[in-house]
Amino acid sequence: MEEERSFSDICGGRLALQRRYYSPSCREFCLSCPRLSLRSLTAVTCTVWLAAYGLFTLCENSMILSAAIFITLLGLLGYLHFVKIDQETLLIIDSLGIQMTSSYASGKESTTFIEMGKVKDVVINEAIYMQKVIYYLCILLKDPVEPHGISQVVPVFQSSKPRLDCLIEVYRSCQEILAHQKTTSTSP
Amino acid sequence: VPASNCLTSPNLVILFTECLKPQGKMVENSSLPLPERAIYGFALFLSSQFGFILYLMWAFIPESWLNYLVTGYVLLFGINMSTSPLNSIHTITDSYAQNQQQKKYQEEAIPALRDIPISEVNQMFFLATKELQLRAKLKN
Repeated sequence: MEEERSFSDICGGRLALQRRYYSPSCREFCLSCPRLSLRSLTAVTCTVWLAAYGLFTLCENSMILSAAIFITLLGLLGYLHFVKIDQETLLIIDSLGIQMTSSYASGKESTTFIEMGKVKDVVINEAIYMQKVIYYLCILLKDPVEPHGISQVVPVFQSSKPRLDCLIEVYRSCQEILAHQKTTSTSP
Repeated sequence: VPASNCLTSPNLVILFTECLKPQGKMVENSSLPLPERAIYGFALFLSSQFGFILYLMWAFIPESWLNYLVTGYVLLFGINMSTSPLNSIHTITDSYAQNQQQKKYQEEAIPALRDIPISEVNQMFFLATKELQLRAKLKN
């Protein structure tokens, strides 16, 4: 069963949340960020090339112009491959673990898996980010030494940064699965 | 001096609002004291006083001290940017909350002050409201 809804991120941009219910114990949430817009790309390219042309008129060295073209191309490729995340996925499987996948604009995918034995809880936390206070979903990991302690906080959906309404949807689904997992793990 | 300020600022506000009104539209042309005009007047008063104080500071403070103020402001900005990162444990708990003692629950008494764990807080905020909404819908 697949559902798609549209939300917004903390800056007001549009996000698409795709929820896939594979089974009562396995769910996937897929957040798609807006693609790189042509407007911002042309704006950055124009500023870089105007600055390079300004330097060229000062220095009279034509290497600056070719260097600017080179820098723009390399910068764009690096941005698409290392910075721009198109899609973030959270796959939660009862009794197995939680997997987070980030797909970059160049096609690269980076995956992190946390096994269910280490997961203490999935919560919505508030923190100060830049000049705002934002809500973000995070996975709390158990402390092996102390039974009720938290050893690590793993934030989820870091680059798409959805707002609270989207986070509440994901939080409720995760809590259903975690509650189900707790009842099945405590019963022998 | 305050009396003369009060006399000039409402006149400025009236002139301002008169210029802003669209031509050919006979909406309130009177210079009645309205709540919005009072707010505009107060805001203008505050901003003009602030500008005056800034001008006096610029005029009298020596050059070197002004440079120090500017660098201090930039440092303050930088320090504000260095709040805890989002993946730090300090956003959830700290040493005082972890070492707090559980006081025994007494009937008919106000519960003791304690730091509620984040899982409980989340359940109260985000899971309970759905049940309340469902109950309200079923009642109606």
